[in-house]
Amino acid sequence: MAEKLLRLADGVDGLFIKNDRFNTTLVSCNLYLPLKKETAASFALLPFILTSCCKKYPDFSRLNYKLNRMYGARLDATAEKYGDYQLLRMSVSVINDRFSLDGESLVKQACELLLRLIFEPATENGEFLEADVAREKRKAIEHIKGEYGEKRIYAKNRLIEEMYKNETYGMPKCGTVEEVEQISGSALFKAWEAMLKTAYIRFQVVGASLPAGLFDEISAKFADTQREAITDCKVSAPTAPAVTVNTVEELSEVNQGKLVMGFSSELYGNDDCSLPLTVMCDIFGGGPYSRLFANVREKMSLCYYCSASAVRQKGLLTVESGVETANAEAAQKEILNQLEAVKKGEFSDFEFDSSIKSICDSLNSYNDSQGALDTWYALKANNENLYSPTEIAQKISTVTREEVIAAANGVKLHTVYKLLPKGEKSI
Amino acid sequence: MKKEIFESDIGESYIKAVHPSGLKIYILEKPQYTSSYAVFGTKYGSIDTCFSVDGEETSVPEGIAHFLEHKLFESEDGDAFTKYAKTGAYANAFTSFDRTCYLFSCSDKFYENLAILLDFVQSPYFTEQTVQKEQGIIGQEIRMYDDSPGWRVMFNMLMQMYHNHPVRIDIAGTVESIAKIDYELLYKCYNTFYNPANMFICIAGNVDAEKALKQISEAVRAVEPIEITRINQPEPETVKSSYVEQSLAVAQPLFCFGYKEATSKPEKTVKERICTALLMEIIAGDSSPLYRQLVNDGLINDEFSTEHFNGYGYSSVIFEGESSDPKRVSEAIKREVERLKTEGIDKKLFSAVRCGMYGNAIRLFGNVESIAMQLVDCAMSDSELFDEIKYLKSVTVEDVYRHLSELDNEKTVLSVINPIELI
Repeated sequence: MAEKLLRLADGVDGLFIKNDRFNTTLVSCNLYLPLKKETAASFALLPFILTSCCKKYPDFSRLNYKLNRMYGARLDATAEKYGDYQLLRMSVSVINDRFSLDGESLVKQACELLLRLIFEPATENGEFLEADVAREKRKAIEHIKGEYGEKRIYAKNRLIEEMYKNETYGMPKCGTVEEVEQISGSALFKAWEAMLKTAYIRFQVVGASLPAGLFDEISAKFADTQREAITDCKVSAPTAPAVTVNTVEELSEVNQGKLVMGFSSELYGNDDCSLPLTVMCDIFGGGPYSRLFANVREKMSLCYYCSASAVRQKGLLTVESGVETANAEAAQKEILNQLEAVKKGEFSDFEFDSSIKSICDSLNSYNDSQGALDTWYALKANNENLYSPTEIAQKISTVTREEVIAAANGVKLHTVYKLLPKGEKSI
Repeated sequence: MKKEIFESDIGESYIKAVHPSGLKIYILEKPQYTSSYAVFGTKYGSIDTCFSVDGEETSVPEGIAHFLEHKLFESEDGDAFTKYAKTGAYANAFTSFDRTCYLFSCSDKFYENLAILLDFVQSPYFTEQTVQKEQGIIGQEIRMYDDSPGWRVMFNMLMQMYHNHPVRIDIAGTVESIAKIDYELLYKCYNTFYNPANMFICIAGNVDAEKALKQISEAVRAVEPIEITRINQPEPETVKSSYVEQSLAVAQPLFCFGYKEATSKPEKTVKERICTALLMEIIAGDSSPLYRQLVNDGLINDEFSTEHFNGYGYSSVIFEGESSDPKRVSEAIKREVERLKTEGIDKKLFSAVRCGMYGNAIRLFGNVESIAMQLVDCAMSDSELFDEIKYLKSVTVEDVYRHLSELDNEKTVLSVINPIELI
């Protein structure tokens, strides 16, 4: 049975994912907003500043002290791209009350804390406080800069930037350094108001029981909020095929190069229409049985890693690989050869069956991870039907060879990005 | 087989068994879970470059434990990944400083997967040709790590912290050292360190412990136990140098600042490890005055972390992260250590971090992977799974304070990775 949402307010849903095997309870607030150049940086800063302090705990040190006292309760914040939208996430997880040594109501305290952080930030006269804004801006800027040092992430980001040059999806998920630098306390306050007014919001609880009164309290919080122009995040624009393949090559002070290839896929969208792409992508570049691992790495020893992943929402497939400059061209050629093989159905029953089994085995493990379950449902906001991991495993097991071949035939090379060691240009 | 059951008041229990071969087996059943996680490991890591068995001393090239891990997946009748592909399990392996572990996780066909694991780890198959092929792949893995600032900043620190201990050497070795590996050396290491008496199996999840024990018992080879002596040159208490830097393609500096701890005996006890973990939280955890000051001074961000890095014959308390001024961070840490030595530990802060650590210890039992990996730690250090929770209830501020004396500001190393552009 697909999970059912409870409407808590206009554009605000609650979802209780009952699972009594965990010794912790997790509550998350997920906010979906359009990804736009003018707002991306300020929206992305919000989950971080909101989970660092609030009116009751204006100092982040005091807040962390409180979390320790709550038996190491964890606050998490992220800002991600979600198709053509931004997904801001804040969550708290805490051990269940029966494990506290002095009988404290930890889950209740954790829910209260999360709501305080979201709805009662440390602000004055319509502005976030200068010191808090400066601190979080600095951390955000350092985080953006830090990605340059992680070449695998950097290369993938650069591919996406090149591939979606004039589209929102090509923007960095947290804005640019310059955009973050310009954020003021009052602008951030306005962004917070806009977030509460216009985001599609989903509160999720993963645990043995729904904390008493939580959803009512959330409804009450929105009673005074004028909700308008609520984000509909169901549909993202698909990736259009490239007229000509764009190849970008950059040089850096690295020992090993990175080869990242971006493909458009004609098959895209939600769980009801795009699952064969998941299987196709896995046969192509998933586990050790996949075409890329077995051939590009094992048979030809062209690289240490070579794998594919898909963003079904956008109809995007990417291949990532770490290569020596001398092997870059051969690796690219072989990756495309393997794609051609999948298109022609030249994959064995063993490869097909292994892929289905591996995906299903992994999906059936989701119920054992609280964090994975929470993320699973947060990423399903583009679906009308909220299928559980087990239900998706059942659907995956009915995908046919023909559907995989059809999915592969809709995959077209769009952009190639290479990051190569200085002085070793490949072409 | 000798068996013992351990229970705790948090509703968890596990079986520890010792096979006649000396192999240790730990199983924690989680019948309400769908998945299971199993590890077959050996006390053999990158630091085991010189050893003796029956008085015969052997030195082997750096990186050989990791190389062996790669090669063990291949057997005469095909590679283990192909066998796992038929069950759908996720399989992997890793080599660290003091251990090599082969693992799988699955939500179905557990006993089939366990049979694969038991079979391939006990069926070495090395030939000249397959060894040569692997030299190429591992060479690329080494080069990949050469570009990883987080990896480099840590190893640069270890290189300056240790004069002789092999923990200073990269786990995968170097392109030059792995070129010296041949299949005969691999067999020699395998026959030494993959003796069941030096190995362990740890399982957590939806399994029937008795059934798994029976399967393991029947599959373990009958091999005479051997006694391995690890030969390490004496390690001075001092560090080689207190500062090291390297330039890489990063946008901002990274740092790794470590205190070299004395190792009067080769391994730390659970009590010592918990006291050190609490101490690190008190010095620079996110509720500490120092953390607050460093954040407010713009010197650290969310990448900042602490680690008690310890194993056979090495121990270090490490603070690492990104900073515009790593030297100021290390000086501030040194000052805080001195202040705590003089003024003592704030009891309220101690009580809060102990409470947080207790909750985190409970939390680990909510995930089969983390339980299995904790059991691996138990097998490595001959401790028990519930020791941490038990000790956290009784540890005092005085216990923790005593460990402050282990931190000597004269025995520190600051390692920095600078952006290339600044040089």
